[in-house]
Amino acid sequence: MKLHAAIAGIETDVEIRREADRLHARVGDVEYQLNARQTGPGSYLLISDGHVFDCRVEGSTESGAPLAVFVGTRSFEVTLADPKRLRGSQDPSAHDDGAARIVAPMPGKIVRVLAEVGAQIEAGAGVVVVEAMKMQNEMKSPKAGTVSAVNVEVGATVNGGDVLVVIE
Amino acid sequence: MFRKILIANRGEIAVRIIRACRDLNISPLAVFSEADAAALHVRMSDEAYCIGAAASTESYLNIKKIIEVAQRASADAIHPGYGFLAENADFARAVTDAGLVFIGPTPEAMKVMGSKTSARRAAIAAGAPVVPGTTEALKSFEEARELAEKFGYPIMLKAAAGGGGKGMRQVASESELRSSLEAAQSEAAAAFGDSEVYLEKIVEKPRHIEIQVFADVHGNYVHLGERECSIQRRHQKVIEECPSPINDADLRQRMGAAAIKIAQAVNYVGAGTVEFLFSDVTRDFYFLEMNTRLQVEHPVTELVTGFDLVCEQINVAAGAPLSFTQDDVRWNGHAIECRVYAEDPDSSFLPSPGRITFLRVPSGPGIRDDSGVAQGDEVSIHYDPMISKLAAWGRTRSEAIDRMRRALDEYAVGGIKTTLPFFREIVRDEDFIAGKLDTGFIPRFQERRARQSERGHPARNEREARTERHIAIIAAALDYSDAQRSLRAGNHHVPQSKWRIAARERAVRQTTIRKSVFE
Repeated sequence: MKLHAAIAGIETDVEIRREADRLHARVGDVEYQLNARQTGPGSYLLISDGHVFDCRVEGSTESGAPLAVFVGTRSFEVTLADPKRLRGSQDPSAHDDGAARIVAPMPGKIVRVLAEVGAQIEAGAGVVVVEAMKMQNEMKSPKAGTVSAVNVEVGATVNGGDVLVVIE
Repeated sequence: MFRKILIANRGEIAVRIIRACRDLNISPLAVFSEADAAALHVRMSDEAYCIGAAASTESYLNIKKIIEVAQRASADAIHPGYGFLAENADFARAVTDAGLVFIGPTPEAMKVMGSKTSARRAAIAAGAPVVPGTTEALKSFEEARELAEKFGYPIMLKAAAGGGGKGMRQVASESELRSSLEAAQSEAAAAFGDSEVYLEKIVEKPRHIEIQVFADVHGNYVHLGERECSIQRRHQKVIEECPSPINDADLRQRMGAAAIKIAQAVNYVGAGTVEFLFSDVTRDFYFLEMNTRLQVEHPVTELVTGFDLVCEQINVAAGAPLSFTQDDVRWNGHAIECRVYAEDPDSSFLPSPGRITFLRVPSGPGIRDDSGVAQGDEVSIHYDPMISKLAAWGRTRSEAIDRMRRALDEYAVGGIKTTLPFFREIVRDEDFIAGKLDTGFIPRFQERRARQSERGHPARNEREARTERHIAIIAAALDYSDAQRSLRAGNHHVPQSKWRIAARERAVRQTTIRKSVFE
């Protein structure tokens, strides 16, 4: 599995491959051979070349907020992006009121706004383009309807979970 | 002896009292608010009754309801813990009037010590040194100005009914006096319904040292030595020690004798704490106030003296004489306590309520954790955010610090922010290790920290730091890949309880039977 990650202002690629308890990982250009065991929900024991790292992950990538990762007593904020999932397949975040809210999947910058308030759009039409971690991601409408709100403009910085556009 | 005790409190102190009840073969009865229906103190009790809504005014402060429950469930006595109704003289009287025993001092003693001005008068009458200042509430700005002139700036304005740092103002010069006086008075009126404010000279760089006293109804008085509580923020203690790093037997003797005299002046019964300010420069001590309750930080005294203060409180309330004399009191080793709060030390200690998703409590030699929560519990916005008190004992202060450092590193709380990272830094701080403590410790510590982070952490090897960052990314990726895998697998692969499967099968059978009857 290949992902993009951001930690402490540094962006990098990460690749992990599992064979039973063995974990082959590459972060940037550094390779790791680890012994990995899940010790509980979100808890992982990683041993690299005899060094023990007792890790715990809080939060989920779906929420848009960075993950809190504890390595021993140290804590880090990690943001992950999955290039496979970002292209296209957005969760239709339909709410009870029938309105669809297009939500920023992670912190990023608005590079294009394709929808105007009052416009009729088809399901699958692009409404806004967000750039995060050097990737542009076109957010599509999950349903046909009328654009009832556009909360962002080009150049704006958004946080994960921010509602960008509402379609009714 | 009592058969059943109602515990009019929640959280760690309710749990602590339940443990004492168990030791004494007394049945503990819990009361709880709607927010605490599944709280640890409820789970650990024999009986538990809901006394109202989450807001403490509707539940833990509801005197009538608590006494009603105690009577209905035939409790013999009520332990108030600390906070809530612990220092409420009306509550103590209502408990006694209902024919129950209040585990604590008499309402009269609570009343005298409840007002800082009358407490000062009592201390002066008992011959104890007090901080130069007034024993009466200030009547006018003019009076305040004259007195401040007489004692010399800086001075402190304090609410007579005060506590928890509310209604307190430090005044550096005359130009600030008028606005500070007005602010202190209105804050005091808002917080305590009493705008009385008095004035004290400020003891510069004071240590906050308190003496634990104990008395029974037979006229026996003892002191259990001091606790140093200088490490405070917003006038609230965060780390306490027994003995003080000063560790001076003669000073302990003099402060202990003064504390006993003050307790005798109000015919005190049970556990009480006399707080003093101590100046390193002059080595003088001054009476500050008396807390007429069990203190949060009592475990450090227990670890060093070996006595169980809560069991002793219950024995004394039942009319027994103290189980020990002054000559039996020995101080063995050193103990330190850290108050673990659900607060974010990186955003000026803002409360961090939420669900505790993970909890690993330290143990091992010399470690004691008095906790009020379990994994899965919700830290509610309604109450004090303290979740536990971690205490370490060692033969010396240095051994106690080593053990505390180990325990803090073992302690892990998930889902909420806590003050644990803050304590991990304090136990590694040079001034703390050297015992250079006074009430200005935390602001100075924060400045040292800020300077350090500007310079970066030079102590840490860059290669190790990078490895840790990479490991964090790998753990995050691993967690993400697990989440994706279980999404793909769907829910049917999640192992299910055999009970649930059996129940479902039965439900299906029953529906089938019913159907056949209707057909």
